[in-house]
Amino acid sequence: MIKITNLEKFYRTEEVETIALNKLSIEVKTGEFVAIMGPSGCGKSTLLNILGMLDDPDEGSYVFNGIEVAHFTERKRADLRKHNIGFVFQSFNLIDELTVFENVELPLIYTGVPSSERVKRVEEVLDKMQIMHRRNHYPQQLSGGQQQRVAIARAVVNKPKLILADEPTGNLDSSNGNDVMELLTDLNEQGTTIIMVTHSEHDARYSHRIIRLLDGQTVMENIMI
Amino acid sequence: MIRNYIKTAFRSLMKNKGFTIINVLGLALGLATCLLIVFYVFDELSYDRYNEKADRIYRVNDDIKFGGNTNSYAVSPAPMAAAMKADFPEIEQIVRFRGKGGNQVKKGNQNIEEDMMIYADPSVFDVFTLPMISGSPTTALTEPHTIVITEQIAQKYFNKTNVVGQVLTFNDTAQYKITGVIKNIPHQSHFHFDFFISMSTLAESRDIAWLSSNFNTYILLKPGTDYKKLEAKFDAFYKKHAGPQLEDILHLNFAKFEQGGNYIRINLIPVKKIHLYSNRVAEFDANGNIDYVYIFSAIAIFILLIACVNFMNLSTARSSNRAREVGVRKVLGSARKYLIAQFLTESIIVTLLGAVIAVFAAWALLPLFNQMSGKELIITPHIVSWLIPALFIIIIVIGCLAGSYPALFLSGFNPIDVLKGKLANGFKGGLLRSFLVVFQFAISIFLIIGTLVIYNQLKFIQNKDLGYNRDHVLTVGNIGALGNSANTFKQEVKQIAGVTDASLSEALPTWDYGNGTTLFKDQAPDQKRALNTQFWGIDEDYINTLGMKIIKGRNFSKEMLTDSTGLIINEAAAKVLAFSNPIDQKLYAPTDNMVKNLKAYHIVGVIKDFNFKSLRLNVTPLVFRLDGGRGAFCVRVNSANIPALLAQIKKSWSGVAPNYQFDYSFLDQQFDSLYRSEQRIGTIVIAFTSLAIIIACLGLFGLAAYAAEQRTKEIGIRKILGANMSTIVGMLSKDFIGLVAIAIAIASPLAWWAMKQWLEGFAYRQNIQWWELALAGIAAVFIAFITISFQSIRAALTNPVKSLRSE
Repeated sequence: MIKITNLEKFYRTEEVETIALNKLSIEVKTGEFVAIMGPSGCGKSTLLNILGMLDDPDEGSYVFNGIEVAHFTERKRADLRKHNIGFVFQSFNLIDELTVFENVELPLIYTGVPSSERVKRVEEVLDKMQIMHRRNHYPQQLSGGQQQRVAIARAVVNKPKLILADEPTGNLDSSNGNDVMELLTDLNEQGTTIIMVTHSEHDARYSHRIIRLLDGQTVMENIMI
Repeated sequence: MIRNYIKTAFRSLMKNKGFTIINVLGLALGLATCLLIVFYVFDELSYDRYNEKADRIYRVNDDIKFGGNTNSYAVSPAPMAAAMKADFPEIEQIVRFRGKGGNQVKKGNQNIEEDMMIYADPSVFDVFTLPMISGSPTTALTEPHTIVITEQIAQKYFNKTNVVGQVLTFNDTAQYKITGVIKNIPHQSHFHFDFFISMSTLAESRDIAWLSSNFNTYILLKPGTDYKKLEAKFDAFYKKHAGPQLEDILHLNFAKFEQGGNYIRINLIPVKKIHLYSNRVAEFDANGNIDYVYIFSAIAIFILLIACVNFMNLSTARSSNRAREVGVRKVLGSARKYLIAQFLTESIIVTLLGAVIAVFAAWALLPLFNQMSGKELIITPHIVSWLIPALFIIIIVIGCLAGSYPALFLSGFNPIDVLKGKLANGFKGGLLRSFLVVFQFAISIFLIIGTLVIYNQLKFIQNKDLGYNRDHVLTVGNIGALGNSANTFKQEVKQIAGVTDASLSEALPTWDYGNGTTLFKDQAPDQKRALNTQFWGIDEDYINTLGMKIIKGRNFSKEMLTDSTGLIINEAAAKVLAFSNPIDQKLYAPTDNMVKNLKAYHIVGVIKDFNFKSLRLNVTPLVFRLDGGRGAFCVRVNSANIPALLAQIKKSWSGVAPNYQFDYSFLDQQFDSLYRSEQRIGTIVIAFTSLAIIIACLGLFGLAAYAAEQRTKEIGIRKILGANMSTIVGMLSKDFIGLVAIAIAIASPLAWWAMKQWLEGFAYRQNIQWWELALAGIAAVFIAFITISFQSIRAALTNPVKSLRSE
């Protein structure tokens, strides 16, 4: 599903040039659950942004589902992204002004799903995440675990092929964290590819494979199970 | 402490350069506009105050209703002044002026046209403060054929000011001995004469007719006199003096005269009020209008308010960025009052910067403003002397006003909430802010509608069918100087190729003041069968030359000998006369001021009404008689080559009047000059409106930038979820456009009502069109949208990764 080859990304400030990704090559197959680990500043987030087509690489190739997207225009990337990729963030990134229902509904609005269909699909996914009873609440009225479940609901409502999760349990206690990991595992078992950035060895154990990064390069890959 | 305030204020302002620039610029623009308007208003209010006795000087006015007409005159009968002085001991001095048309004044071999001439009683120097730099104010103007001139005229004709004893020659014939030179009359005066000729020169000044008003009469009251009390005595006074003449002429007493619904009322107006409050027949100058003083003052206040609102809005919107600072300061022990002082210091510094820029901007813009307003405003040391303290107060007041809300709002934060980040979103709960945006835009929309209506009305006036054709009509001035050669000149001009027609007459439709009289239906002056009307002598070519239309009967004809007693009346006159068929009906005109003798005329034709007064007024009765007169000469031209035609007419002129300047103008230009003051007002209002809108947009621009900044995270999330640019721009614009829509709903009816009041002042007006309201609304939405889009598009283009990384 994903094949990146010799990917490079630099950041420049006025004085320093930092190499975030250094000729990185990774492959992820459809249906895999991959964890990316590494110390702060190793390039995990940069990699996730590029995989999520939020950012483009400076050098190298990125093939997504057989399409070379490394130098796609912003518009094309956005189009590909909204139909194929769901995001889960450490800080949830829910919109405070919208209710749970409306937050989850957003991706469907942007992909042009008709209203009646939207209601059906949002209710379906809220049900699955067991937060249906909270549908008319605002994010601030929910606990962290509930908020992250809403975020996951939002990420999967469009039935993406790939979910990118950036430390999904980082802001949660262990019990809520485990619930979230179970949810992700379920999704993966139903066929969704998952790439997760994490600091937690515990969380990483839910994945099939761990990719360890240091200074923008792969230092080790362990196959789990 | 103060140093710490100023230091922190400066750093905070420097850190937020964008907001600081918007605030300073907005305030500077607002204050600069205000300053210009203040200069203008002060200038308008300072008229005639140069007179040391201004508080005691009054002009005598006559309000007359007679013969179906109501008129307000700035002139009084010739004998009234002397009678008043004799009857009322409270009058210290009295002076009469009698208008004198333009004359050619000789300088070397050249004759120069001079218009600013007046006959005046010797007492003029007792009443008005006209300092004499050469000659004696007590004896100047006592002898006939003496003249007092201004400094600038002395310089113009003699290159020096010490010219007492010299002689000026008018129209190659009349000679006047200079008996005094006065300082130039200040700009802020309701008259600007350069030549004061002794009243005794004029035989009419000794006239005893009380029923004819031609003299602008001013009285100087003794200190402590209540002019209202004096005014109350005028009715009896007038009846006492004019009564016998009324009985003599009209064979009726005042009681009967008044029973007929007629009146003659004498009243006073303080000289300081003439410029702004008086708009009567026979004013010396086109006066100002207090309405415009009010309108401009209101605009100035509005603009300043808009600028203050910007400041308040942007400061409170920014509050979340300052919240941490407030929290830390409070935790470290700062009391609320110190925080308030802190924020007020900041707003006063911004106001101060704005004020400094504003003073320079106003100074730089003054010449342009003078050009637009037709004023001669200058910044004098006197203005500076009150301006600096005034500015100081304005800076403190506006600084506190603009800074008060942010200061109270920010200083009220609870430090624990702030430091926990609970007040992170400073944009929410901005009800006051929404209200202020609505307020700003309501003002802007009000001004846009006002401007559109004014512009439309002026255009309407310019294009209105006046009942005569003012295009391609040339008028030649000073025709009186030709004497009997005028007819020769007319015949010569008519021969020139490209001239369609030419006419000699007493008056033109663009002239403010023609000749009025009363006509009677019978050979007896019965006031019930009278017509108070304009009475102009014209020749048989007048109606064709000016393109007027005869709707009944015929034009005058040279072939018809009886036409020497023929009359052509306008529709308005026909309506008052109410003959079933006016043709061949007889009318009788007095041949002297005393109405001793009546001369019989007969009506030969009726012309379609044409506007010979300002379009503010309805058409009043007008009667033509056949008498070429020597007042005006007009030529209808039909030529592409106007310069060549003018050269030929000038050649004819030089043939008959070699010593006189050839002076011409076009009728349409004269017509335009009737509305110059309105046009000027229109230009100024448009300029100020644009400024108000610019300032309001500056504020909106800042607010939109802030809204976008506040919602960066949300925009980022939405973009990751697939929102495209138009969705984001729409989302950000929606809120503001809604506010503008509310502003439209508030401002439109108010503006409609206010402009209706203004239009009431015109007898001929273009009613307010629905599209004017619609256009103003669309313009406001459009302008607001453009302003906001600039920020929203920028926000929408930002890479979402950047906005989310800050988490």
